Amino acid sequence: MKEMELMIYAILSLESDSGKLDSILTGIKGISGADLYSVSFNATTAIVSDINRTDLIANSSNAIAYAGVIETLAQQYSLLPMRFGSIMESTGAILRMLERNHPEIEKNLLKVKNKVEFGLKVFCDSEKLKGELIRISEAKTARPPHQTPEPQISVFREYVNKKLEAHKLEEMLLAHVDSVIAGITNHLDQLNAVCKFRKMVTETMIIDAVILLENSLKDPLIHQIEEFQIQFPGLNFVLTGPWPPYNFVETTIK
Amino acid sequence: MDNNVVDQSKDITILELLDRVLNKGVILTGDIVISVADIDLVYLGVKLMLSSVETMEQLKSGKAIKEIKE
Repeated sequence: MKEMELMIYAILSLESDSGKLDSILTGIKGISGADLYSVSFNATTAIVSDINRTDLIANSSNAIAYAGVIETLAQQYSLLPMRFGSIMESTGAILRMLERNHPEIEKNLLKVKNKVEFGLKVFCDSEKLKGELIRISEAKTARPPHQTPEPQISVFREYVNKKLEAHKLEEMLLAHVDSVIAGITNHLDQLNAVCKFRKMVTETMIIDAVILLENSLKDPLIHQIEEFQIQFPGLNFVLTGPWPPYNFVETTIK
Repeated sequence: MDNNVVDQSKDITILELLDRVLNKGVILTGDIVISVADIDLVYLGVKLMLSSVETMEQLKSGKAIKEIKE
């Protein structure tokens, strides 16, 4: 029979009142209903539960249980959420890991202190949007009515022209997305938010963004997204969160 | 709000959550072993999320509702 190992859920800084943490951990369960406990090096604390590796399956219910622990802790502490499946063999190994990575952990904890993450997805009816962009472009480059018609062109030339038109349309779409991102960034800068954008994720999802901002600025953010929705009626804004700062702890610890 | 839209919104939240917990967060390396038994779930989660989100958009605009009724 394989020995129990330890699943790590999150790392946080326990500056005072460890009794409060113990009380929270008593009230929640880890994966497979396991008890949660803490392993600390000075103030840096890992939240763990015992786990038998053979019992660990990356299915939805385990992942949701894992995220549930992180979510509950995040309501009380600034923390670094760990990726699902982070396992160490003993408390001694965790202590050594915390000691070895102490500066990196502290640096990241400071970065996300009192902050929450939101997800922002922006959708459009891509065909409708492309149609509008074409109309705008054609209006700008409309020929005078007295201009002589173009001579007959070859099928090859026609093919090249179609390709060029498609490329031009993609560029217009990208420029439009960039202008929306610039508008969003401009307003979210006023909330001191840190944003990461991915463009043109799918045909209809033109922006997939994550936003990190002060916990106290949740309501102004929601209000701002409502304003964006009014400003860009042809787009649909979907905001999710607040989440623990999963997307803003870009660190690998050893 | 249409029940389908509510259900799809729940799906988005769950899939956004799965995407985060499986694909984001602090990574451990070195003497630490990362054990994910069914790695396909990571990719499945992301694909589901995208299709689910798009379906919700269709529902919002009435397209999908029309298709369901038809």
